[in-house]
Amino acid sequence: MRLHLKIWRQAGPDAAGRLVDYVADRISPDMSFLEMLDVVNEALIRNGEDAIAFDSDCREGICGMCSLVVNGVPHGPDRGTTVCQLHMRRFKDGDTITVEPWRAKAFPVMKDLVVDRSAFDRIIAAGGYISVNVGGAPDGNAIPVPKEIADVAMDSAACIGCGACVAACKNASAHLFMSAKISQLALLPQGRAERYRRVLSMIDQADAEGFGSCSNEGECEAVCPKEIPISNIARMTREYVKALWAAGR
Amino acid sequence: MSSRTGVFSSSVGTKIVIGLTGMALVLYLVVHIAGNALVFFGPTVFNQYSHLLLSNPLVPLIEIGLVIIFALHLYKTVRMFIANQQARPVAYVRKKYAGAPSRKTVASSTMIVSGLWLLMFVVIHVTQFKYGAEYEVDGVRDLYRLEMENFANPLLVGFYVVSMLVVGSHLWHGIASAFQSIGADHPRWTPRLLAASKILAVAIAAGFVVIAVWAYVHQAGRVRP
Repeated sequence: MRLHLKIWRQAGPDAAGRLVDYVADRISPDMSFLEMLDVVNEALIRNGEDAIAFDSDCREGICGMCSLVVNGVPHGPDRGTTVCQLHMRRFKDGDTITVEPWRAKAFPVMKDLVVDRSAFDRIIAAGGYISVNVGGAPDGNAIPVPKEIADVAMDSAACIGCGACVAACKNASAHLFMSAKISQLALLPQGRAERYRRVLSMIDQADAEGFGSCSNEGECEAVCPKEIPISNIARMTREYVKALWAAGR
Repeated sequence: MSSRTGVFSSSVGTKIVIGLTGMALVLYLVVHIAGNALVFFGPTVFNQYSHLLLSNPLVPLIEIGLVIIFALHLYKTVRMFIANQQARPVAYVRKKYAGAPSRKTVASSTMIVSGLWLLMFVVIHVTQFKYGAEYEVDGVRDLYRLEMENFANPLLVGFYVVSMLVVGSHLWHGIASAFQSIGADHPRWTPRLLAASKILAVAIAAGFVVIAVWAYVHQAGRVRP
């Protein structure tokens, strides 16, 4: 396959960026999107040019590192996958593909396609954990959790924190990410103890990081590689109201 | 905790305020269109109904409440829109709708435009009707005559029809969105709510359009002296 790429190049956080044209030649349809970029980079390095910087780690859709907006959609055209799981057979020979980084004030571009997502870490640090010592693994069914609730909690816990929800949202909102992290804990007994403090702190932190609010469009859900639904966002709102109620404010 | 930003200034609190005020405004629209539909029963019924409202001492209080709700909805949405724009200082060169299950539509993407259009419309509308010509018939205000006179002007009817399409567009996203904003979500009921809110949006817009066009078609010229 021969593909025309338009890739965002930006030398550093404060530098101006622009789309640069590249040609990816002799690409196998069985390559992943990131492998295709590896091939392009190898050619750049051979020619003594600066390789295109992009994030990746596990390359099997579970780590949340890869973060490319392909043809205007975070993680590319396929549902429920990360961009490392996107294969070149999804494109046609001769296609032009635009590749951009996540764009949000809270995710500043470090270089080319790499953004700094430590804002997510700070949101988690604000309350997305259980601070009590829960000890070793409890005996099965020692803490009864209804199956339906366990399922929803597990679905929320599938969030890999990649930030595609922020990238897709017209408001660069982190509500889907936060709500998944809040839901996975609020739904289960171990997370209940700190649920109110958690939701207030995490929302405060996200607002302070400069993420936007939510317009209920659900673009986040559509691009989420783990297909986390926006019903989590409604749950986060309920948690917020309950927390305010409990705090008597 | 959230005392720093204030309960209703947070990104979630803002949504709750916008959702609740939006719901109140939709409720008002439903009452409004039900009252307007009485115009089909002729001037006597319509003027009696409007007199009932005008002579009710509670109505001015409700009006003040409406103005506050409207102003709050406007203030919170405009502030949220500005903050949301700031959350993405560098725009994408290429951005596409992600497709299902996203609920994104042209209507949801233009809420600020449709909302500001409606602000303009409401100012004009209230000037023309509430503060319009004070005709009197049988000791009550003749709003029927005022309505017919206003809608004798095809340009104005056109403006109203366009504005009602804008209302429909705003509600197409707004009604269901308001429920999601206050945290109301249910695996079985949300899909039905999404459908019902679109039906209600179309019904409200169509209802007002029919009334304006009916008034023009049936009465234009007849009431002009």
